[in-house]
Amino acid sequence: MAALPRRIIKETQRLMQEPVPGISAVPDDSNARYFHVIVTGPEDSPFEGGLFKLELFLPEDYPMSAPKVRFITKIYHPNIDRLGRICLDILKDKWSPALQIRTVLLSIQALLSAPNPDDPLANDVAELWKVNESEAIRNAREWTRRYAMDN
Amino acid sequence: MGSIIGVLKNILCRMLQLLSFGKKTITNSLSVYVKISGGRTVAVDLDPTWDIKNVKEVVAPRLGLEPNEVKIIFAGKELGDKIKISECDLGQQSILHAVKVRGRLRTTLPPPSTSLIEDIDEQASKPLSETLNDTMFSNEDSSKSSSNIDDGSTNSGEGTNRTNVHFYVFCPTCKALKTGKLRVRCHFCKSGAFTVHSDPQSWNDVLEPKQITGLCENGSELCADILNNKEPTFAEFYFKCSEHTSLGEQDQAVPLYLIRPNLRDVPCLACTDVSDPVVVFPCTEGHVTCLDCFRQYCITRLTERQFWQHPEYGYTLACPAGCPDSFIKEIHHFRLLNDTQYAQYQRFGTEEFVLRSGGVLCPQPGCGMGILIDEGCVKVACINGCGYVFCRLCLQGYHVGECRSADTEIGANAEACSYNVDPAKASEARWDEASKVAIKVLTKPCPMCRTPTERDGGCMHMVCTRAGCNFHWCWVCQTPWTRECMGNHWFG
Repeated sequence: MAALPRRIIKETQRLMQEPVPGISAVPDDSNARYFHVIVTGPEDSPFEGGLFKLELFLPEDYPMSAPKVRFITKIYHPNIDRLGRICLDILKDKWSPALQIRTVLLSIQALLSAPNPDDPLANDVAELWKVNESEAIRNAREWTRRYAMDN
Repeated sequence: MGSIIGVLKNILCRMLQLLSFGKKTITNSLSVYVKISGGRTVAVDLDPTWDIKNVKEVVAPRLGLEPNEVKIIFAGKELGDKIKISECDLGQQSILHAVKVRGRLRTTLPPPSTSLIEDIDEQASKPLSETLNDTMFSNEDSSKSSSNIDDGSTNSGEGTNRTNVHFYVFCPTCKALKTGKLRVRCHFCKSGAFTVHSDPQSWNDVLEPKQITGLCENGSELCADILNNKEPTFAEFYFKCSEHTSLGEQDQAVPLYLIRPNLRDVPCLACTDVSDPVVVFPCTEGHVTCLDCFRQYCITRLTERQFWQHPEYGYTLACPAGCPDSFIKEIHHFRLLNDTQYAQYQRFGTEEFVLRSGGVLCPQPGCGMGILIDEGCVKVACINGCGYVFCRLCLQGYHVGECRSADTEIGANAEACSYNVDPAKASEARWDEASKVAIKVLTKPCPMCRTPTERDGGCMHMVCTRAGCNFHWCWVCQTPWTRECMGNHWFG
């Protein structure tokens, strides 16, 4: 495998030395481009108290291409589908090499605080979130309790 | 013993140097040309330690003049007597201009320009490379840069301590990124015997025509007289590569003005390293990348075919941070790519241009010739290319009537043969069949631009990946993407 670009080394060092509150990102022992990520559910959101596992992979031409991020922990969220894929513009057409792993994870954390049912990825979840928000939030709490709290 | 010989040798060398200086023949010489009014050029060998007064002494006899009757002009400046050759940014085979001082003519000129010329004679007679400084070219803000210039002219002693402007050019001779030298000539007659009234203060002054006025000293055909004061005589700036011997006045290089010395130690946006020089993108933030990351950015966008066909600038890219109005105007910056990549850039650019202009690309394998055709025309012949005649609509061989599907066409061709071939076998045995089948099976055309598109997972919401199309469509309906599609079959 090609040598790890300095940018990735620097980003990794900074993530370890000054971690973002509520987010941990640790590179895999065998692949420095693969990160094990844990995001804590933001306060005052139905995900509060949950620990959500994600995987993050830096493709060959990172930072020219966006990192690939996916939720591993099941989550009830209109912008995250059942395979854990995330609907977030900065992971697609709005990606810029000026963004970093840190900013991506912060955006994902913000997405948990403010779901956007108008730009959904999970159809049924989005529908319920629009029609009956309180029930949707109840479901989200229930899923958080069931899947993101047992450790 | 050895050291004594060394010392003796040294002394001998010095004596020889003194002798040779006396005779004005030089060991460490700089061969330049001096262009004399009237078009004559003489070759002169100069010693870099000489000053301009020495040059005048050498040149004046050739003109039949006294040294004090000659002025030496180089890169838009009349050079003062005290200037050392080594300060002048001269290279081998550079061209100096020698003109006769026109004492009487000067009084006939309008007063403002006279005073300016005298200013030049008195104080500003340093070469352009010495009076320009980097700060004014690294800052596009004209108000700030003009204040920089004021500083420069009042503390002229400080000016020499600053690093000289480093211009970067694409040199067509070296075929590479090189440092460049700024040169000046008359906009009207293209003569280099031209002095500027003021230094350029920004890239705009250098790149746009008719920004800076000056005085053309091209002998008898004074441009000011020919133009009859209808407009002032303007300076024209151009660049030369400073890394190869000048090949004459036609030897020019394209300025890559987004590449600048990294005076402010700005880290690269992508790799965060501080390197020098850097690419400064034309956005309001002036985002910076290093040259390697710029290349990487270009290659990534090129292979994704995400360059943009800009109506004015050509096939180009914007700031990687996604800033508005940040397209690169001077597409020679993409010469930073290697030859293979640049060839691909040119091919994609040409193809995009042909498609944008309503043309087609010849479908014959290995041809791909771009053909511009009239709107209603259906029968297209690949003239100057492979000669294939094809239907514009189905891109198959030309036919009369409705376009047939590929399957029936094979059958028809087989029937025309004198011996029988199983059409099914024949269709499998075609060289390009595998890729044709793959394209047919795996792709659907974008409803807007017809680009064959593969869906490799995710939802049914497609966004055309061809730069400039970006059409949102539904994989199921093959129509524009709607909320109905979202409701009915978003995930199939």
